[in-house]
Amino acid sequence: MQIAATIIDLAWAWGITGAVTAAAFLTIGMGRIDEDARGAWIFRPLIAPGVMLLWPLVLWRWWVLETGRDDWQLRHAPPRRVHGRLWLAFAILVPLIFATALAVRQDWPAGIEPQRLDGGQG
Amino acid sequence: MSVKYIPVQWNRNKWIYDSVMLGAVFGFLWLFLYAAPGFLDHGKPVNGAIVNMRAFGACAFLMLTVILCIGPLARLDRRFLPLLYNRRHFGVMTLFVALSHAGFVLGWYYAFSPHDRYEALLFSNTAYGQLNGFPFETLGLFALLVLMVLAATSHDFWMKFLTPRVWKALHMLIYPAYAAVIGHVGFGVLQDQQAPAFGWIVGLGAAAVVILHAAAAIRERRAGDPAGAVTGDWIAACPAGDIPEGSARITRLPNGDRVAIFRHEGRLSAIANACAHQNGPLGEGRIVDCLVTCPWHGFQYDVTNGRSPAPFTEKVPTYNLRLEGGMVLVDPAANPPGTPVEPLEAGPEGAA
Repeated sequence: MQIAATIIDLAWAWGITGAVTAAAFLTIGMGRIDEDARGAWIFRPLIAPGVMLLWPLVLWRWWVLETGRDDWQLRHAPPRRVHGRLWLAFAILVPLIFATALAVRQDWPAGIEPQRLDGGQG
Repeated sequence: MSVKYIPVQWNRNKWIYDSVMLGAVFGFLWLFLYAAPGFLDHGKPVNGAIVNMRAFGACAFLMLTVILCIGPLARLDRRFLPLLYNRRHFGVMTLFVALSHAGFVLGWYYAFSPHDRYEALLFSNTAYGQLNGFPFETLGLFALLVLMVLAATSHDFWMKFLTPRVWKALHMLIYPAYAAVIGHVGFGVLQDQQAPAFGWIVGLGAAAVVILHAAAAIRERRAGDPAGAVTGDWIAACPAGDIPEGSARITRLPNGDRVAIFRHEGRLSAIANACAHQNGPLGEGRIVDCLVTCPWHGFQYDVTNGRSPAPFTEKVPTYNLRLEGGMVLVDPAANPPGTPVEPLEAGPEGAA
């Protein structure tokens, strides 16, 4: 229970930090690092949830772009080799999980009638 | 194509796509809730919150299954490309359906706890060391978080900002998320042996996803883009005569990048195969009005300089070409995006 409360507190802290980051990035940073965003304000609220969820990644990319460390070739090199390995792992894992779930099913005791929870007793 | 970012680049196709999708979602929910309780065996006396929870959960599972089938289907047969066109809206809608499912869960199973309902969700079952009674709720929570990240980063801004490598790595989380959903359903509702229909639906859906991905991977291995042969500092792509007018041949470079070599008005030009928008395969597109048109979303580029026509701002790298004994050679060092390259005079199409 204490761990659950801590996780919820950490989630709040993460979200609040993300909201502060989003406020700074969407008002100051975005226009500085992307020419297509300059003068474009209506779409920015759509970006806010992503900044709140991924604020460390956003801060890192903001820093890379602000300091001129960006490599233009990375913007045109989609990773494709990893697909095959990922699909293979996926093709093994999904049937395995499904079969395991079916295998551990237990029989219900016979003859027990379900009772309506929200109905009257009569 | 874009000059400045806008929330959504609406057009007729997107309106049709979203209308069909919304109609299908409402149709499914109606079918589940009112037309098929006998078949799905949820006509037993459970309350409305549970039935709604099952309806939205089943809908989210099916939507996720369809989303994962679209990619390999489009690779296997180009007639499925229209399904790919607005898949991101499909994903966002799936998130909202999944959130509705989670809302019904929290609003019923955890509504009467003396503790905070989110805390109760996390600590009510912590039997992670056993399969019987495994805390399937956590698997669903993981999948929900992934859907949130994917939906929140679906705007065009994100791939440009994060780079395709990071963005695609994030969006590949859809695969572990789907595996988690299978576990969530399998160790959850499928433990009820009195509802066999759910087992069939989940099993067939998962089988479709796995088989289609395997088929697409096998096709890619057998008939995918060929690797160019290394010839000194250059890469031998294909005979010039093999490139049809208005189309391209794609070749793989040693570093894994793909180059699309087009023939336009009898001359050859090469650009990066990945569209600057969503990395669609430009080499599978055709030249329309002197511009290469991406088969995924219709973004266009001039093959001689890799630039979208003004006022649009997208650019892709170009490559230098030369001919040697009728063979097209590519310089593997890409030119910066938008660099003009003089097209190469080629022999006639189909010449040996």
